[in-house]
Amino acid sequence: MSKRDGKSRHMINVDLTSMIDVVFQLIIFFMFTSQFGELRRTEIDLPRQPGDESAVRLEPAMIIDLTNEGLYLVESTSASLAEIERLAAIGVANQVPEDPFDVLIRPDRNASAIHLDRLLLRLSNTGVQRWKLATVDEGGGA
Amino acid sequence: MSTKRSSKQRRKSAQLGALPLTSMIDVVFLLLIFFLVTANFSKQEHKLPATLQTEGGGVRSSDLQPQILQIRLQNSNPIFVMGEVVVDNRDSLEAFLSGLPKEPGVAIRSEPDVPISAIAVALQAARNAGFQKRSYVPSDSQ
Repeated sequence: MSKRDGKSRHMINVDLTSMIDVVFQLIIFFMFTSQFGELRRTEIDLPRQPGDESAVRLEPAMIIDLTNEGLYLVESTSASLAEIERLAAIGVANQVPEDPFDVLIRPDRNASAIHLDRLLLRLSNTGVQRWKLATVDEGGGA
Repeated sequence: MSTKRSSKQRRKSAQLGALPLTSMIDVVFLLLIFFLVTANFSKQEHKLPATLQTEGGGVRSSDLQPQILQIRLQNSNPIFVMGEVVVDNRDSLEAFLSGLPKEPGVAIRSEPDVPISAIAVALQAARNAGFQKRSYVPSDSQ
């Protein structure tokens, strides 16, 4: 009798420590990977302005990086103006009135305006009307 | 002998009652480190929204003519020109724009060599001056 009792007590005592370790490691893994989407941003020296805090903070439909050399990057991949125009055209075609297609441009602060103009002309051709310029606030004026 | 058994039993029951917190603490510290690290991964970005306006398109004839702010380079430094007024920094530009009527909006255009940081300065000044309608006119100099 006492032997059976000891056996069942021994069986109940399941060691969960390793299980908890693994579960938490998985949580950490997923937390890391879910951040990667946002972290996949090219390092760019953005214009230093405080921006518009009243602007609705919705995720833009398309993010285009513009490097100092005039390279355009979409999702950290180099893209030609024709490719960007094609992607924007798809976005505009699928936009709904409540959520119009908008573009966030992340330019290098020292890039020439001509690169921005070329990009905006292409976007304008596809019917994009709203765009935003990404900035960082470092308390600097002009 | 009996004393020995009872102390063994006591030790065993004490062992069963104690929660193994070591692994939990390990995991909690891992999470803490995770949040400490990720909180500093990227700089907070801000946005300057603007509409897109191309020459000869996008504006109805019934719209009021927007005030045009030109950005040029003078001795490699950007200057902001509106009519006969010329300013070279954001504070002065903001003060000047504050005195203008807001209904027609402001259209910004720049020379091709102007750095994009100057466009951001103009957009920021227009926003701070209270202009709801801010548009950028890309120049067609391909």
